[in-house]
Amino acid sequence: METIATRRSFIGGATALAAWPGSALADKPAAKKPAAESTSKPAAKPESPFAAWETPDGMATDAVMARRLYLDLAGRIPTKEEAQEYVLGHKEGRRRALVERLLASDDFADYWAMRFCDILRVKSEFPINLWPNAVYVYHDRVRRFLKQNEPWDAFGRALLTSQGSDFRDAEVNFFRATDRRTPEGWAEATAQTFLGIPPADLDSATRERFARHFANVKVKTTREWKEEIVFVDGKDSRGELCDHLFGERRAEVADALVRRVRGWIFGLGRAKPPKAAGDPTLRVKDVIRRIVLSDEYARGSVKGGFPARRIDAEVLDDMFCTLSGAVRNYQSPAPEPFTFLPPKRKTVAIEDGSISNGFLTLFGRPARDTGLDNERGEDVTAKQRLYLFNSGKLNKQIASMILPGGKEIGGKLNPLISLKFPQRIEEFYWRILSRPPMQRELGVMLAEHKRRKGKTWDLYRDLIWCLVNSKEFLFRI
Amino acid sequence: MKPAKSVVEIWLWGGPSQLETFDPKPNASRDYNGGLKAIPTNVPGMEIHEWWPELAKCADLYSVIRTMTHKHFGHESAAYLMQTGRMPGGGEVCPAIGAVISQAKKSEYKGDLPPYVILTAAKGRFSEVGFLGADAAPLVTGGQPNSPRFVVDGIVAPAGISHAASNVRFDMLAELDAWRPKEGSANAARAKEFDVAGVEARRIAEGDAAKVFDLSQESEETRNRYGRTNVGQSLLAARRLVEYGVPYVTFNHGGWDSHKRHFETMKKRSAETDQAVAAFLKDLKERGLLDSTIVWMGGEFGRTPKVGWDPPWNGGRNHFASCFSMLVAGGGFKGGCVVGKSDETASKPVERPVSPQDFLCSIYELCGIDPDGPLKNNKGKKLTVLPPQSEAGRLKEIYA
Repeated sequence: METIATRRSFIGGATALAAWPGSALADKPAAKKPAAESTSKPAAKPESPFAAWETPDGMATDAVMARRLYLDLAGRIPTKEEAQEYVLGHKEGRRRALVERLLASDDFADYWAMRFCDILRVKSEFPINLWPNAVYVYHDRVRRFLKQNEPWDAFGRALLTSQGSDFRDAEVNFFRATDRRTPEGWAEATAQTFLGIPPADLDSATRERFARHFANVKVKTTREWKEEIVFVDGKDSRGELCDHLFGERRAEVADALVRRVRGWIFGLGRAKPPKAAGDPTLRVKDVIRRIVLSDEYARGSVKGGFPARRIDAEVLDDMFCTLSGAVRNYQSPAPEPFTFLPPKRKTVAIEDGSISNGFLTLFGRPARDTGLDNERGEDVTAKQRLYLFNSGKLNKQIASMILPGGKEIGGKLNPLISLKFPQRIEEFYWRILSRPPMQRELGVMLAEHKRRKGKTWDLYRDLIWCLVNSKEFLFRI
Repeated sequence: MKPAKSVVEIWLWGGPSQLETFDPKPNASRDYNGGLKAIPTNVPGMEIHEWWPELAKCADLYSVIRTMTHKHFGHESAAYLMQTGRMPGGGEVCPAIGAVISQAKKSEYKGDLPPYVILTAAKGRFSEVGFLGADAAPLVTGGQPNSPRFVVDGIVAPAGISHAASNVRFDMLAELDAWRPKEGSANAARAKEFDVAGVEARRIAEGDAAKVFDLSQESEETRNRYGRTNVGQSLLAARRLVEYGVPYVTFNHGGWDSHKRHFETMKKRSAETDQAVAAFLKDLKERGLLDSTIVWMGGEFGRTPKVGWDPPWNGGRNHFASCFSMLVAGGGFKGGCVVGKSDETASKPVERPVSPQDFLCSIYELCGIDPDGPLKNNKGKKLTVLPPQSEAGRLKEIYA
């Protein structure tokens, strides 16, 4: 049984309340001083029911901002330590610093390569049929474009003017990654990729104009199994197409890029139209930086109107695996010989759209058949919630989240074991939701603890089940 | 005639041999028939392969088509064509017949389970819902129907969580899931979508729906009749799903891609499938469900008529789409008929070729869905259910 004293010292101490006074605005110069920052003694005031997520003036809390940035830029949630560093650490300039750190990380390149490989249809099997070797070199090339912040037009030019072998000259896979390998098909792929115009909406003049430049592009096989050579038989005018696209139509290309990135950050179909692009940048990291450092991005999601986005299937899988220490088991029986991915490979980093499983399909991973943005599902369905409520696999993972890594880690007792109720509750909140519990939430848990006569294992299991079944977990808020 | 209420698809992934199923050629040479025979059925003049003795006893319940034909010899392209009636390509991935029919019949179906259920694994390798997206996605059961407890992940509660314990969790969740956006905002709509999905999910998990998968409610005699195999118990589960009212049930039954040692594989596969399908059809008939349920069985293509006896095939058959067989029963299809005639080695249709479109079109028509009508979708696509085709090909000769 916990004594009142223990409870008071817990709530009053550690991090539980220290977190809420700060807001995302705390990073900004003192000109707009947020009301919340002046709250000197939070314990004296009744806790707002939204204290964990939003400051009284409608801005995201620090904890929400940290989680948001990790999810949007790195495709993962922060570890407990990373979240605490942001929430409890030095305030000055931390948002900008975190953005820069994340943009430079491998996690950024993995996550955003997944996005770009969706629209470039990077998959080995039907109906795109790139074949695994080509998938790996193409994915690697896309990842490099993002990691090095290569301009979108330079990358586009490299794709559109490429020639050579699909296994060695990664860019030629642009011409292979479509189910219509014809000048018209390539014209449509070009318009869709760089102007954001789906084939159904493409005007025939543009289609014909683009297609003319692809008239001499040919694909031939070699004696190497599934190797194909993309080459130009005759005059190659694809450079002129690039001059047109990235010259005369540069503003449109920049606009399409910004729209796409905004859609990925704010949620597909839910992003407001972009403001007039003043200085069109064609570097993805610059576009992202501008968005995530804006005031708009710092707003809260309760009253502040910041759009919530359903977590991507791959990111969700990684969240479950990381929190529970579960191993992944991705493999593909086709084509032979079978492909087995290393168990520690993040799901976000899976190169091949053909390697999937029921979980990923259920949560809307795109098949990469068309490259259209709406191929990715962001809905919440009853079938998904059934999985979250009841899945045997997830229930095993939840049990592992109580003590990730097991009782012993590297021959030493898992330090979590010595952490007792209710500190353990706080630990779960930090790990799973990247924040400390609110007083109200602790109150619920204290009551449950009492009702269960101090038995903790089931209590922890049920708490974790509740946390992973909450909106706050399933949405990037 | 009343349209069929449900469809059960028994998908023989990999391409089963036409010669060792419904188009045996006992008079051809051993290089074609492997030295195997045909057997008579209970319908005079109708013969099937000797490895299907149980189906031979109830041929009045189903008809066979011996002249299915198309031009795609790769699994994915052929499966796509057989499932959607369209050629791959065109920048669009269209939904398979299961997704189309279940979506069309969704409004008249009152059950809690999704209108499209797949036993036990998805086809994989191509998306069955195509552009229709998550909302049309089938419930894929997973699990082992022949194990002591058929655990359908997500629907049947995991071991160790009692009903009472589950209720406690939901009460806790109601208190802890407190992120509640401002009324009328876009986020509030998302939160509502989440909550509504949750209510529906809980109703499925706690209502009668989960009991459909409890095969222990069937008598031992019934379970044995279907065969104590995953094939048999999957079809028993399919029957329970039809009784429950699910409009489209697919049983994906793989393992027919017998390039090597074809005869060994085929003999084993045929035995368990023969028992299960015969029991299934008779059970539907006895329960008065066959008239309202279409059953169709087949794969994406057949197999090369000439056997490859040499290594590495050692008696194998490869992919072959020019001429292959299908079984149809119930829901407005007559039994005891043979459609089409192939040549002396089952290599090409001689009379009455049937295209994938002709075939699918007939199923749609008997389900009361106009094949030339719009393909309902919320993606703004203007497509018809099937591409335009001639009415002449429809299987009207076996409409009841």
